[in-house]
Amino acid sequence: MDIFPALIGVLSDPLLMGWVLLAAIVGMIVGAIPGLTASAAIAMLLPLTFYMEPLPALAFLYVIGKSGRYGGSIAAILFNTPGTAASAATQLDGYPLARQGKASKAMKVATISSVIGDFTGEILLIAGVAWIAAIALKLGPPELFAVNFAAFIVIGSVIGKSVTRGLASAALGILVAMIGLDPISSTERFTFGSFDLTNGIGLVPLMIGIFVLGEVFAQIEERGKPTELVQGGHDAARDGLTWAEYKPCLPHVARSSFIGAFIGMLPGLGSAIAAFVAYGEGKRRARNLDEWGHGALEGVAAPEAANNAVSGPSMAPLLTLGIPGSTIGAILIGVFLIHGIQIGPTMFLTSRDLVYALFACGLIGIVMYGVIGYYGAAFVGRFITRIPTRVLYPVIFLTSFVAAYTSRGNLFDVYVMVAAGFAGWAMRKLDFNPAAFVISFVLAGGAEETFRQSLLLSDNGLMIFVTRPVALIFLLIGCLALALRVRSLNRQSRAAAVTS
Amino acid sequence: MTPGPSPAPRVVGVALILIGIGATVTAFGISLDQYGRWGARYFPLVGSVALILLGVIEVTRAPGGAVVDRRHLPAIAALLLLAILYIICISAFGYLIATALAAPAALWIFGVRSPVGLAAAMVLSPALYHLVFFEFLGVFPPLGRYFDLLDLIGGY
Repeated sequence: MDIFPALIGVLSDPLLMGWVLLAAIVGMIVGAIPGLTASAAIAMLLPLTFYMEPLPALAFLYVIGKSGRYGGSIAAILFNTPGTAASAATQLDGYPLARQGKASKAMKVATISSVIGDFTGEILLIAGVAWIAAIALKLGPPELFAVNFAAFIVIGSVIGKSVTRGLASAALGILVAMIGLDPISSTERFTFGSFDLTNGIGLVPLMIGIFVLGEVFAQIEERGKPTELVQGGHDAARDGLTWAEYKPCLPHVARSSFIGAFIGMLPGLGSAIAAFVAYGEGKRRARNLDEWGHGALEGVAAPEAANNAVSGPSMAPLLTLGIPGSTIGAILIGVFLIHGIQIGPTMFLTSRDLVYALFACGLIGIVMYGVIGYYGAAFVGRFITRIPTRVLYPVIFLTSFVAAYTSRGNLFDVYVMVAAGFAGWAMRKLDFNPAAFVISFVLAGGAEETFRQSLLLSDNGLMIFVTRPVALIFLLIGCLALALRVRSLNRQSRAAAVTS
Repeated sequence: MTPGPSPAPRVVGVALILIGIGATVTAFGISLDQYGRWGARYFPLVGSVALILLGVIEVTRAPGGAVVDRRHLPAIAALLLLAILYIICISAFGYLIATALAAPAALWIFGVRSPVGLAAAMVLSPALYHLVFFEFLGVFPPLGRYFDLLDLIGGY
């Protein structure tokens, strides 16, 4: 019930409402620009929020994440270019609808479905997060290490085309996180005699490099490709959405919302997997199967609901265990740390009001991007086609430098950002997994701490992880996830070989 | 979403092995704690050895792989070079001069050829970024080691 006073508090604060509104607009625009993601926008704007109070800072970035996920659908439907990886599933039916002159109808379906999915995820988060935190408080270092271990394996192996390169990305993230002074013994690690490296690699320049500068490098390859907007005359019959048209979408939206919420709770999987799983499940159960892929409204509703339902539950492992469920969660850790807020289960004892106020901002943000998107998505689409990418990306290039410098007022961080940017581009090019790299970088410190605490507690060395049932279960979950993924990829490779 | 072959498995595998070996050697150089325990070495070693193992798996995979598109590598290299020169220039001549040079160069790499646009970027970019970050947000700007325009126009 903490959410109701929090909602009243947020609604009665005009400045905070202004930040939430601004975030809803910024996120939608950024998400709709092909190539740019909400993660990039959040990473770039992160240093600006250091100068804000904790709640407006967190709410601003959190709502950008939500509306950015939705904004991807605008590009998918109107430009046939997914603004985010998750909206590639929306594109399958969204663009054919736009070609039929039903772009506005498709956008309305996407908006309503995103709002329903996002609300479902947020309400599940609000209802369940305190309960998970109460359980998490009872976990000791061995169990927490096992949870981290499972997260490393799942993040590294489940996303992306290559299991080995995904796991290598996670291992590289761990190694980079080890640079600096050991937090327990203050021993230098991987510093190579450099004073700058003794402070370790900063989270903010690393994020800006991987998600922002890396994207600028990638966009060089897209130079000269025009962004084309699907044109169509205004027609009330085509643009309007009736209850009869949306009613068949509702079962898909409900199912996809729960699929998205479940996938969102698992660290690292994210919106893209949720959207494609929901699309596949919706198509499997569809009564109008022949329309799917050629312009079915349900084919827009299912992935959009799942895509946005990920947003709330992906915060659950972050807030309760300190494990970011998504790249956006990993970036938000930076805000919590800068403002001196300790994340993890104790957060519900020390900063309970802040957490529920953040959830309230999330709910209000959903309403805001829903209303703006329902009436203004087409306008946002037209606005984006007027932004020349040959000017936009140089501006982002210059902004990433000053943003990286601003985080600690240190030019060394800017070098780190450039190195991370080039590495981020190379990782994408070679099928590595930048998200696994960044999330592992964030997780490594906590995982190492709990691992070493466990060994100090143990009389039998590593056996402590096997003799504690909860720890053993999480270790097995990690191994099982890896085995299933390898099996699934082998099957797909064999099937592809047979087909070819 | 059937996975296609990943690019250059052999090269990537060898690179992972080399990074892993380098990291392993360095990890063994990490000092033990006062009781002679390996505490600070565990995670660096686990990460390094994991890289070696994953590199070996990559190398032993079937030969071949997807072809990497190399058409844009000169432009990527130009942007990387610009990024490094930009930082060197900031530390030598301060933020304003460095940005005045980097802004038109970045626009040029992305295909902008309008002299007016390039000139406008040269003037407007440093001014806008300086106002927003160093005046409005109050961040202390990176001053040039040899010369800084801020010494002439005042402020710092």
